[in-house]
Amino acid sequence: MSAAPQALIAELTYRCPLHCVYCSNPVQKSDSARELSTEDWVNIVQQAGALGCWHLHLTGGEPLLRTDLEQLVRTGRASGLYVNLITSGLGLSRERLRALVEAGLDHIQLSFQDSDEGEANAFAGLRAHAQKLRVASWIREHRLAFTVNIVIHRQNIRRLEEMIGLAEQLNADKLEIANVQYYGWALRNRAALLPSYDQLRRSLPIVEAARSRAAGRMRIAYVLPDYHAKYPKACMGGWGRGLMLIDPAGRAMPCHSAHVIPGLAFPSVAEQSLRSIWEDSPVFQRFRGDDWMQEPCRSCDRKTADFGGCRCQAMLLANDAAATDPVCSLSPHRAVVDDLIRQAMRESDRQPAWVYRIEPVA
Amino acid sequence: MNELEGRPILRPGCRLSASSDLLLIPEGALRLQGPAAHIVQACDGVKTVPEIVATLLKNFPGTEEARVWDETSAFLTKLRDRAILEFV
Repeated sequence: MSAAPQALIAELTYRCPLHCVYCSNPVQKSDSARELSTEDWVNIVQQAGALGCWHLHLTGGEPLLRTDLEQLVRTGRASGLYVNLITSGLGLSRERLRALVEAGLDHIQLSFQDSDEGEANAFAGLRAHAQKLRVASWIREHRLAFTVNIVIHRQNIRRLEEMIGLAEQLNADKLEIANVQYYGWALRNRAALLPSYDQLRRSLPIVEAARSRAAGRMRIAYVLPDYHAKYPKACMGGWGRGLMLIDPAGRAMPCHSAHVIPGLAFPSVAEQSLRSIWEDSPVFQRFRGDDWMQEPCRSCDRKTADFGGCRCQAMLLANDAAATDPVCSLSPHRAVVDDLIRQAMRESDRQPAWVYRIEPVA
Repeated sequence: MNELEGRPILRPGCRLSASSDLLLIPEGALRLQGPAAHIVQACDGVKTVPEIVATLLKNFPGTEEARVWDETSAFLTKLRDRAILEFV
């Protein structure tokens, strides 16, 4: 038994007009044709409210591609949830934004790929930047929390200062700068995206200076790439501890990458209630607590701080989902990560040869 | 304490839950205890801090005025520093 999840992450669709080279959605989207109905989502959202969740994060893919988004926002609010929309801004009009706000939207997170329009469009594989700027100006017509999300990597980290400047110009309440995490499509493009240790070191004082400058106006969160970290991230705040994710087809997962771990049977919301999934399903209990841990995690003081890091990354890099996250300096597999960094740096002077995520847009 | 001058109001995207026991913010929620919910409710962008204190004294008769001042100021300062509250 575990306390109720604090947040429900609703991946409404995997469809997306953007083709980002670091997309974190699954590379194999076999179920992408099947999406839950409006009725299904309404039911899930109501259950989340009854379960005691605080937040509802509407995401994707691009959630705006769902024509029932306004209804889901309204249901979220009526169920006592704080409603957050995570979007590229593509498919949003001034009128639709007003409708979403009137339906009860509390917070919007708008993604940017860069401060430079040409580069931003290149990373997204679409001329999207200008539309995002328009959306940002419409957002400020409402009393709504506004976060700008920017993903950084080796190809754009040098413009960090300008990217922070852009978020300030847009009057964001918060800027989240996140280094690419290597799952999904990003894993395929890792060699082109992984920044050098030196690039990263130079980025830290830039963020610090911006934090002081923007204090009281805009908060800045900076997520470092864990490949360069000494200790792993507390992935999802710990497996099955605070978050539940529902994928577009209605499978409940402890995180969006968990499908890379073999042998996990994800419960379907069509067959089980959220409460029973959270409290009783083997998947959510699999890495909950610390009984599953191996050394060096088992006897480590940090096990209640980072929960052994990311289970998916342990699977991807050490081929063992119960291993210590290999990015941890204490992991016996750390050499794998160091090799990957060296390999990426050898290619760093060459033009990026990345692969766009191309999907038919339904 | 002139830094609490003005009329406090919750920042966009911060609000009380329907049951008034949670202060919902973009990153999570704060559980409100004792008079905290009353203080947050009084932050309407109209009342000044002295007016909020006066309201609390009326709602909680018999409480020492200096204590209400100290606790209200400390709470509002905390919310402001966490970007939950702004002064207009």
